[in-house]
Amino acid sequence: MNIVMLAGFLAIAPPASVRGYDTPDDGGRSITLEWTLSPDDGVIERYEIYRSCNGVDYEKIGVMGRGRGLFEDDTEDRRQYYYKVAAVADTARAFSEPSAPVMSSAQWLNRKKINIIVAVAVFGGLILLFIQRARRGQKLFVRKIAGLQAIDDAVGRATEMGKPILYCPGIGYIEDIATIASLSILGEVAKKCGQYNTELINPHFDPIVYTVAREIVKESYASVGRPDAFDPDSVYYVTDSQFAYAAAVDGIMLRERPATNFLVGWFRAESLILAETGASTGAIQIAGTDQVSQLPFFVTACDYTLIGEELYAASAYISREPLLLGAIKGEDWGKVIIGAIIIAGSILGLLTAFPILRLFD
Amino acid sequence: MKRNFPLLLVFVFGVLGIIPFIIPHPVVQGTDEFLRNNLLKILAAFALILGLGSLLRVHFDKIKRRGQNWEYSWVLIATFIVTSIIGLFGGVSGTGILPTRIGSFAFDIWTIYFNVEVPLGAAMFALLSFFMASAAYRAFRARSTQATLLLTAAFVVMLGVLPLGNEISPHLPSFAQWIMDVPNVAGQRGILFGVALGMIATALKIILGIERSWLGGGGE
Amino acid sequence: MNISTDPWIWIASILSLAILSFLYKENPIFRAAEHIFLGVANGYLVTFYWHRILVPILFRPLFQQGELLLIIPFVVGILYLTRFIPRLSWLVRIPIAIYMGYWTGVLIPATIQAQIIKQMQGTVLTSQNFQAWNAGSWGIVWSVLIFVGVLCTLSYFYFSREHKGVIGVTSRVGIVFVMTGFGAAFGYTVMARISLLIGKLQFLLGDWLGIIR
Repeated sequence: MNIVMLAGFLAIAPPASVRGYDTPDDGGRSITLEWTLSPDDGVIERYEIYRSCNGVDYEKIGVMGRGRGLFEDDTEDRRQYYYKVAAVADTARAFSEPSAPVMSSAQWLNRKKINIIVAVAVFGGLILLFIQRARRGQKLFVRKIAGLQAIDDAVGRATEMGKPILYCPGIGYIEDIATIASLSILGEVAKKCGQYNTELINPHFDPIVYTVAREIVKESYASVGRPDAFDPDSVYYVTDSQFAYAAAVDGIMLRERPATNFLVGWFRAESLILAETGASTGAIQIAGTDQVSQLPFFVTACDYTLIGEELYAASAYISREPLLLGAIKGEDWGKVIIGAIIIAGSILGLLTAFPILRLFD
Repeated sequence: MKRNFPLLLVFVFGVLGIIPFIIPHPVVQGTDEFLRNNLLKILAAFALILGLGSLLRVHFDKIKRRGQNWEYSWVLIATFIVTSIIGLFGGVSGTGILPTRIGSFAFDIWTIYFNVEVPLGAAMFALLSFFMASAAYRAFRARSTQATLLLTAAFVVMLGVLPLGNEISPHLPSFAQWIMDVPNVAGQRGILFGVALGMIATALKIILGIERSWLGGGGE
Repeated sequence: MNISTDPWIWIASILSLAILSFLYKENPIFRAAEHIFLGVANGYLVTFYWHRILVPILFRPLFQQGELLLIIPFVVGILYLTRFIPRLSWLVRIPIAIYMGYWTGVLIPATIQAQIIKQMQGTVLTSQNFQAWNAGSWGIVWSVLIFVGVLCTLSYFYFSREHKGVIGVTSRVGIVFVMTGFGAAFGYTVMARISLLIGKLQFLLGDWLGIIR
């Protein structure tokens, strides 16, 4: 075989249409490179990517396997780069034409999150709309929630028996919505304790939640005209350790024998330990959490359980404050919209070729 | 001022919490990183001082007035002080100024953690298997339709997960899996939608200053 | 029997038994173990926060490396201590506001993406969702069942109407799905919980008493 035939045998076609562009929807420092595969893509070993800052001196910066026409490069912003891609087979390299110069930059909006922005606007707008309506005096109805109706009876029971009420807000932090909802209910329970002179025991897992709870309980006693009845030691921090906290609350349940236990907030595995220990003492137990994994244990071990959103509805239900009721109305409309989207999306998905699922990506 | 300034702060930082999700620019992401990795972690550390102050005050008060089980308050305070001293001055791996070894007996903070806190936590966790049985018995005694449904599903899934289930019927494991994949998913998804909407509503109320119970009443 | 001579194994075993004695009834041994647990846990927290947060993230960068921006979190953190000064106690709201504001803000888009958008995507009836079951035409049946179950469960959490009439029926169907799901979750965790007990028994009978290997 002579040299000419050998050269013809080894010649491969280069990739074409090498195009570089600023990687979209990111914080900069990235350029995406695309190219049309070499017509000899099936026989080459790989593609090599070369980069230059001046259009003259190129250095190899990466490798991609055959069949792949996309590469992402880490770059410096506002600096021009030129790219070439070489198809490689053995020692032969077929270089593409250089790309046009391209620069990377940071974007101020991630367009992939547009659906989330729309959802925040829609749901947030609905909730605020009904809060505004409530402000203007529109009457809003909330159906009965069994666990919340039982609160008065539960507090009354403790008062009659001369025993304390234990309020455990769980092991959440102040940013957990279940904890915030629990603190709202704590405020209402504390008001009743102040009115009926019932002892309240409120141990805490998190120091920040303890700080907020202390102020809420103190304010609750003051609002019913009983600031003198507030015992600062009734609200206290225990520990930030999950099972040490559970051991401490169990100890309180067995030693103090509260007539009523509130287990309302954010819980994990210790939920069953607390609920079962409380049940063994004969206390009435009202539980509530948004942790779906813990709800089964509360449902089996407690007398009343606030399931998920019922916990958030609680403070509105108890206080009957129009602004809080307005928020519930907005949430209900949110559920209607979710249901409507699911139904409409299903009709579109089944009867047309519209790629409905991509709207949710 | 005493209420309005914190309300303004909660709004500003609420927005600062939302925007990194939609703005990838390094100015925003860098600020977010400073907040998460510096400011908020440091705040959490200072908050612990308040908590410990409360704990120690409660137990010292109990000792002073000879409250019920006051002797155990000494146990708590003593173990807390000893552990803190060993941890603070003995160093993380026993490399501090306080010696944490006598011969082959080590008592550095990690040894204490792995031989006291971890086994105690594991023992509490182990209680769960007993409590699951008593909870199931309690639910069985309740005799309501809902409790019956819950227990039946629990029983089927439990058997389906065990090798025994396959001995009873080869269809049991797949039926158990079906319960996990279909009615369980449907129920959980419905709950999650409600929870999500409730979370968003509460978060918005806090950020916009509509929910103010966290302010308490003092100082204004 | 090959009883351990390691004093820490003895300490861990005795404390574990003290906690387990709680199953019989609350007793002085459990009480002692509970208070030791609390003391050690809080002592460990102090150590953790000092060595892993305050020193490397605040004190060393601020006082040794001159990162003056950290004065801000330092001052804001100190505001927590104003809780002990009645005239200034309102200042404690500042760090609480910062902490709560930021994390409730983070929660909004994260919740929408994970708990609303993704869950809607999984519920919508499409041929793609049917095929994801790998169950032939049964995939359609299961998808429809989930579709119905989700809508009925949503109606259970509709607070603006009494549960009568159509909503009464759908909410009762919804609670059937909810309770079945709870039972499934309950049954599924039984094995995990029993394995925890087995692990504890292995420690006591193996590592401590050397009865089992």
